[in-house]
Formats: sequence, structure tokens, C-alpha cells
Amino acid sequence: MGPMSALIRKELLLLLRDPHGLLLLFVMPAVFVLIMTFALQNQYAVNKDVSLDFYLFSEHDSGLSRAFERDLAEASPLRRLETDADWQQMQARARDDEVKFLVRIKPGFDQLLIERQAPVEILYSPGTSPVFASVAEGRAMELLNRLYLRYRLSSMPGVQSSLEARGEDLIEARSLYDDSGAMPSSVQQNVPAWLLFAMFFIAVPLSTTLINERQQGTLLRLRSMGVGPVKLLAGKVVPFFIVNLVQVVVLFLIGLYLIPMMGGDRLTLGQNPEGLALVSVAASLAAVCYALLIAQLTSTIEQATIVSGVCNIIMAALGGVMVPSFLMPEAMQQIGSYSPMAWGLNGFFDILLRNGTVADTLPEVGALLGFAALMLALTVWRYRAITK
Amino acid sequence: MSVISVRQLAFGYSSATPVLKGIDLEVPEGSVFGLLGPNGAGKTTFLSILAGLIPCPPDRVFIDGRDWSTPASRPAVRLALVPQEYAFYHPLTVRENLAFFAGVQGVPKAQIESRIQSAVARTGLGERLGSRAGKLSGGLKRRLNLAIGLLNQPRLLLLDEPTVGIDPHSRHFILETIRQLGREGTTIIYTSHYMEEVEELCDRVAIMDHGQILRNGPLTELLAEAPPTPRRRESSLEALFLELTTRELRD
Repeated sequence: MGPMSALIRKELLLLLRDPHGLLLLFVMPAVFVLIMTFALQNQYAVNKDVSLDFYLFSEHDSGLSRAFERDLAEASPLRRLETDADWQQMQARARDDEVKFLVRIKPGFDQLLIERQAPVEILYSPGTSPVFASVAEGRAMELLNRLYLRYRLSSMPGVQSSLEARGEDLIEARSLYDDSGAMPSSVQQNVPAWLLFAMFFIAVPLSTTLINERQQGTLLRLRSMGVGPVKLLAGKVVPFFIVNLVQVVVLFLIGLYLIPMMGGDRLTLGQNPEGLALVSVAASLAAVCYALLIAQLTSTIEQATIVSGVCNIIMAALGGVMVPSFLMPEAMQQIGSYSPMAWGLNGFFDILLRNGTVADTLPEVGALLGFAALMLALTVWRYRAITK
Repeated sequence: MSVISVRQLAFGYSSATPVLKGIDLEVPEGSVFGLLGPNGAGKTTFLSILAGLIPCPPDRVFIDGRDWSTPASRPAVRLALVPQEYAFYHPLTVRENLAFFAGVQGVPKAQIESRIQSAVARTGLGERLGSRAGKLSGGLKRRLNLAIGLLNQPRLLLLDEPTVGIDPHSRHFILETIRQLGREGTTIIYTSHYMEEVEELCDRVAIMDHGQILRNGPLTELLAEAPPTPRRRESSLEALFLELTTRELRD
């Protein structure tokens, strides 16, 4: 057993004897992946299983208003629920989130439509997301415009028939995700996101062992045994790099097998899964070197836990782990682009969402390796300052 | 012949605060050498230099007659430092700790088990090999601390207060182990605040304070110098120590 294998074996044994560390590195991300994948499933699947339920209240009866009612009920993903409730009761139910929104056809619908005034009122329930609200609004607006044009051009039969076509028939829409036209699901976002979050959390067990070694004189003893700084650092980097790779395998297996077994979407690895390996290696080196620096900058386990925890959560929040970046305003996306977790996530997305090649991941891989090099340089500088 | 020769060794962590101020010392091969001094005297710094943890100026410290200042110039001497702290991994078992420290020192795989058996036989830990180190009593922890120091079969053993905070039985056991090592020819440098231990164990003693060696020589010579003891439970060496270090309160 050489010195390096002794150091690696020791670190892995220490981690195996640390239930809190195992909880943090494996159980926490697994739970997050499961919860967030199912919780966000609808955000990624508007065209599939989601329906935007609504009540309609009509105060007008005409050919145009009935056409509007019929077309709105058939417009995907809207779904009209039948009710005998009056307008006040409908509002009360919408406040209780029984439906996503209410539609009221105003008295004088035809006249208002022709005069280009609002013939319809839409009220959203408090829990309706802005995304769903704009979908509902867009559908209603499209139908009203079509009715208006149909009325105006009623004397021109050729034009009128073209207006019979449904809005969606006029567009061929598909995702660039793959040739089948399938859309990426929430599992594609959540597995890499929480994987990165967990990878950076190795700062906690790593700094715990390093600080214990410092405080208990073990580091001193190792140095007196001729274990130099290079071996000491390598003795941390290698085992925690292995731990990170085990995390990658575990979380990807959860996405590939466990989530589908529980009724969710299956993680698809894209056409160039070797790119995932490259991003995983780069992200792991970044996480391990960052953890080494945290361990060198802090003097107690409490400090290390708080500093690494807070930094990780900030990096995750900005980097699109907790909230997907595309939901953030432009300024936040700009700030978030400086987070190493964002680089890792983009690298994973290059393969998982954009079906990219290994070459597509190189900018993110380069950024992660640069970050790792910077963290390592600062660690060595700090180590020398401490041991001087 | 001296294993360790120290000539006019001066050292400070900064130029403003010298810790060692021109130490001269000879440690003969096979001796059990007691290094006494109040807290802040410079004992730990001196031991750290001998253990190679702190670089020293050239041509000041010699081990086996060779300059100890840089790793490149150091002779390949089997040396072990036993720190005052329980310097091992508490979640690991006694065996795992011993196997790790043997492995990290480059002990060949085929020899690790025999080294472990030899170390636990000397320290009486044979029945505790499967116990978690953190669950051991204070005395057993001290023994494990010592056992780790014996894994490389050291010729030069640096013991930093190896009996602090343990019961009389464990202390007796550890002292007997050290005495036996000394009889077998291991050169031992022993620091302690327990004067009676040093009187019992060491053949040569140095008393240091404020980074200087105040007295240095065979134990018998130092005891001859000792003033009459003012209190009955004060040993002769303690009386000399207190006189030399001016009886003032430290820390």
C-alpha cells in the first residue's frame, strides 16, 4: 500500500463513517431531484398533460359570442369547466384556486368586438403563474381577432374560408431538442442542477477532515512522516474526485431508472454522453479545489460549514440550480453567468438539452478548469502562509 | 557518539520575536534525553525543527553528523514524532489507523501487518485492534498515539508530553514501554512537565527557558546541583527547575 493509496483509502473510510456527510452528498440531492422533477414537471410540459381550467360566464348571446365560447373551450391547453355558478360565485371559486382563470363575455359582445373595444374580461386566480396567464390571454386574443376578421371579411368567401383554419394549423412548431419533436422534460433540468449542487457540497466533509487534522495534530504528524504538501493535497483531491464521480453515477441512475419507475419522464443522455463525462470531471475538479480553499480559509468546522453552505446556496441560486435561469430577468442572468454552477449546468445542458457535441462543452469546461486552477493556487498560497 | 548535535541554533517565527536563542546541545546515541521547560520556553519549536517541520538555518543542527537544514541534505534517519495531541483519526479503528500511518510512511504492504502486531504488542493494544479510536479511554488513546510512532521502528523518537491527562496505570505502562525502547537502543527525546517521570526515565536532561538552555547534562549531575526541596512532595529536579526558571507563573 503506497502513501497515496493509504491517503485515498483513509479519506473514503472517514466519509463512509460520517452519516451526516453521506446524507449531504447523496441523500439530499437524490431527494431534491425527485421533489423538484415532479414539482416542476408542468413547467416543462405545457403541451402535454397540462390543462388550464377556466369558467366562462356569458352575458351575451349571439352567433359570434357562441363561436367564441366554442372555440375557446377547444383551444389547447385551455379547458372549460361547466358550472351553474353566477359571476360572484365564480370569482370566489377562482380565489380559492379551483380554476386558473375566469372569462366573462360582456353584454354587447358583437358591438364591442366590431368597435375594437374589450368584449371579454379575464380574471386570473391568485395562484396562476404569469406564464399560464399569458397563454390564456394569447388564446383568447387570437380567437377574438379571428372573429373580428371573419365578420369584416364576411363578404369575401375566399378570405373567409382561410379564416376557418385554426391558429395552430398555420404554424409548424417543434423543439430543436431532437428529431422526434419531443420537448425536454424537467428531469433534464433537475438532475444536472442538483448534481452540481451536491458536488460543491463536498466542501463540508472535506473541510471537516482537514480542519480535524489540523486541530488534532494529525497534519503535523503526517508532515513529520514526510508527507509533503503535494501528497497532502492530492490525498484530498483524488478521493473526493472519486466521490464526485459516484455522485454523478448515482444521480444519473436516478434520472434514468428511478424517476421513470415513479411515473416521471426518463432522463435522456443526448447523442454525445461522453460530453457529460468531460463536464463532470471539470465540475468535480472545480468543486474539490473550491472545497480545499474553504478548508484553508476557515479554522473551525462550524466556520467551514457555514461559509461553504452559504456560498453554495448563493452560487446555486444565481447559477440556475434552484430557479432555472430562463425564468430570471436579464440582469440576474448576467450575474448568474459568473457562478461556477452555471458553467457546469450549461455544460450539462449542451449535451442534455441542446444535443451538443463535446466541442460545444469546451467553453464551460475551460471555465471550470480555470476556476479549479485559481482555487488551487489560492489554496497553495494559503497553505504555505499557514505552515510558515 | 552524538545522534543529534545542535550548535548555536537561533530561530524565530519573525525577526522581532526570537524563540530559540543560540542553543547548544548534544544527544548521545541510545540516551533517553529529558527536555524540560515551562510553557513558552521553546521546547515545541525545538522538537518541530528536529522533526523536520520547521526549516532551520544551515550548519546548526546535525543528525548523524549531517546537516538537517533542508530536506535534500537530511540523512535518511528513522525518526518519529509523537505529538501531545491525539494525532490520529477517531472514526477509524485502531487497526485502520495503524495500517494508514504505516502505509503513508511507505512501509511495504507485506510488512504492514507485522509492524502493526509489533506496535500493539509493545503498547498493549492487541485486544483493541477492532475498536474505534474515538471510543478508547484516555490511557488507550495515549498508547495508540505512541504505537503509531513505533510503526517505522524509529531510531530517534521525539515524545511531546506523552503522559498528559491519563490515569496512573496507563502512565506506568507508557513509561515502562519508553524505558524498554531506551534499553533497546532507541534515542528518545522526552518533554514533560512531570519532573518525577523525567527523573525516573531519563539519563540526560536539559532545562530550557526563554529559548535558551539553562542547564544540560547527565541527570546525576543536575540532581547534585539541586537545592534542598522546600516541600516534601517536590522532587529534587523540580526544585532545580523552579529555581532556574525563577518560580514565576507562566501562561
